[in-house]
Amino acid sequence: MPRYTVHKKILRDWPLYFFIIPSLVLVVTFQYYPVASGFYHSVFEWGGGDAKRFTGWENYGRAFTDTTFLNSFKVIGLLLIFNLIKMWPSVIIAVLIHRLKSDRWQYVYRVLLVVPMIVPSLVSLFIWKFLLDPNIGGLNALIEATGFKSVLVAVDNFFGWGVFFEDVPIAWLGQPQLILPTLFIWGFPWIGMFGVLLYLAGLQSIGTEVYEAADLDGIGPIQKFFYIELPLILTQIRLSLILMVMNTLGGFGFQLLMLNEAGGPGGRGMVPGLWIYNRSFVAGEFGYACALGIILGLIILGLTYINNRYIRIDK
Amino acid sequence: MSASTAPSPNATKAARPLKRRQYDWPKHIVLMTLIGIELFPLYMMLQVSFKDTSTFLQQPWLPLPISQWDWSNWSFGIKLIAPYLANTVFVTTCATFGTFFFALLGAYFFARSKLPGKGILWTLFLILLIMPGVGTFVPVFMLLKSLHLLNTLFALIILGVSGGQVLNVFILRHFIEDIPKDLFEAAEMDGASHFQRMVHIVIPMAAPIIGTLSIFAFMGGWNDFMMPLIILRDQELFTLGVGLIYLEGEYVKPWGKIMATYFISSVPLLIMLLFTMKFFVRSFSAGAVKG
Repeated sequence: MPRYTVHKKILRDWPLYFFIIPSLVLVVTFQYYPVASGFYHSVFEWGGGDAKRFTGWENYGRAFTDTTFLNSFKVIGLLLIFNLIKMWPSVIIAVLIHRLKSDRWQYVYRVLLVVPMIVPSLVSLFIWKFLLDPNIGGLNALIEATGFKSVLVAVDNFFGWGVFFEDVPIAWLGQPQLILPTLFIWGFPWIGMFGVLLYLAGLQSIGTEVYEAADLDGIGPIQKFFYIELPLILTQIRLSLILMVMNTLGGFGFQLLMLNEAGGPGGRGMVPGLWIYNRSFVAGEFGYACALGIILGLIILGLTYINNRYIRIDK
Repeated sequence: MSASTAPSPNATKAARPLKRRQYDWPKHIVLMTLIGIELFPLYMMLQVSFKDTSTFLQQPWLPLPISQWDWSNWSFGIKLIAPYLANTVFVTTCATFGTFFFALLGAYFFARSKLPGKGILWTLFLILLIMPGVGTFVPVFMLLKSLHLLNTLFALIILGVSGGQVLNVFILRHFIEDIPKDLFEAAEMDGASHFQRMVHIVIPMAAPIIGTLSIFAFMGGWNDFMMPLIILRDQELFTLGVGLIYLEGEYVKPWGKIMATYFISSVPLLIMLLFTMKFFVRSFSAGAVKG
């Protein structure tokens, strides 16, 4: 009798419900409730206090004519392409380390890769900001010392950009036209320690006999990468792709600290998350910010769905 | 790692006469160059931290000889950042412990019970796994305001604990399910309660994965600056991130002092890493990415 066994189980195991209650309460309060509350407040004109005025779908209508918000998606599209390119150095580093014959050297490189992890991410961000400083920064000094500056000026004169000049230090974070290129070169050589360690874990599953067979067939190093290594770490690459897309779309702390709450000069670095922050904590339009948050959340949800549906890589 | 690659030297040596020899030095050159550039900001941080403003402006790139090191930057940095570090250690430690206490209980429920309602609850958790938490910081801020939790460290702890639930419950559930059922049945025979079974079976068996996951949770909390920036107002409550943001925002920048502060803010993770190196260097055990 299934009904009888269910009863017996409840009688015996009911204290187990207490195990799930704390998690459930936390998740419902701090993850489900904010979404509901955000949706509720998105149909009000609301300054964060007690007074609010019901406006229906007005906030949503406004979002679709808000040029800053719409432009911020162009920026985020570009940043996604940048980050897609920036994923590959980690893969290459992991494969190179994996192919080293000496276990000792593999260990040395792993240690060297872990070392930068001790630095809080905020600190590495600020050090990069320091390196990009127009007057005392390392990047300008390098460009001057190698004579690359005159090349840049010549190219600039040829195309008439009006960005690089002979005797003016390059303001990487101060020139509107340079904001996006600077966001691209930021963090060079783009080694994600987390990514490298993840890929190395995946590469371990390749047995030596696979390489031996490949050697017997006379397969070169590049073909080995495409036929042996890449297929085996596709699962890990997909995992970091999903994380990268979600972080890029939702993140704005980086832009807030590198530039400012207006997205830097000319607003060239404005991303959707930063615009939500700007509307709520700078302009005090909390209702509108909630509507923007709901729209952004729906877009990310859609992308995650597509990602799960079409980029599934079966093991 | 060593288990799978240890036999390789002998095997490749035997096979070597058949094919052309491959050298490792081109790989070493590429790796050293890239990792060298990657470590350059760290080098700058360390050597600038011993310079006062005039020596820094004279010679920004090369380190000073040890006799001329300016340790006053370091005492400035310690005085400035130590209270923030203490706050951060308190918040992240509490949040990490809370996360795993509740996540283990939740995961045990999903893995071991056959109670009605489990399916629905699991769906509730799974939805959150793909539902992004972005764009909701305004409602979270308002919720904390109505709970009178703004400008408290407890708010950061509880946000950390609740934010860590879904993913950790998801991963731990699979691990608890993989523990042999016989162990639980034997414990049940001996009259152990569910909580005792968790303490004596689940925690020892899942210790490695809990270790790895809690390092990630700890580092996530450590590096978080967005929520503290929004929530904290009083300077004595500042966590590391907020403190560093205010330091960086000063108009006059004594780089030596700033870099010394940056370096000191890295010391706690350095200590933690020395103790947990094997988790990182032996790379995440393959199980960490399962699921």
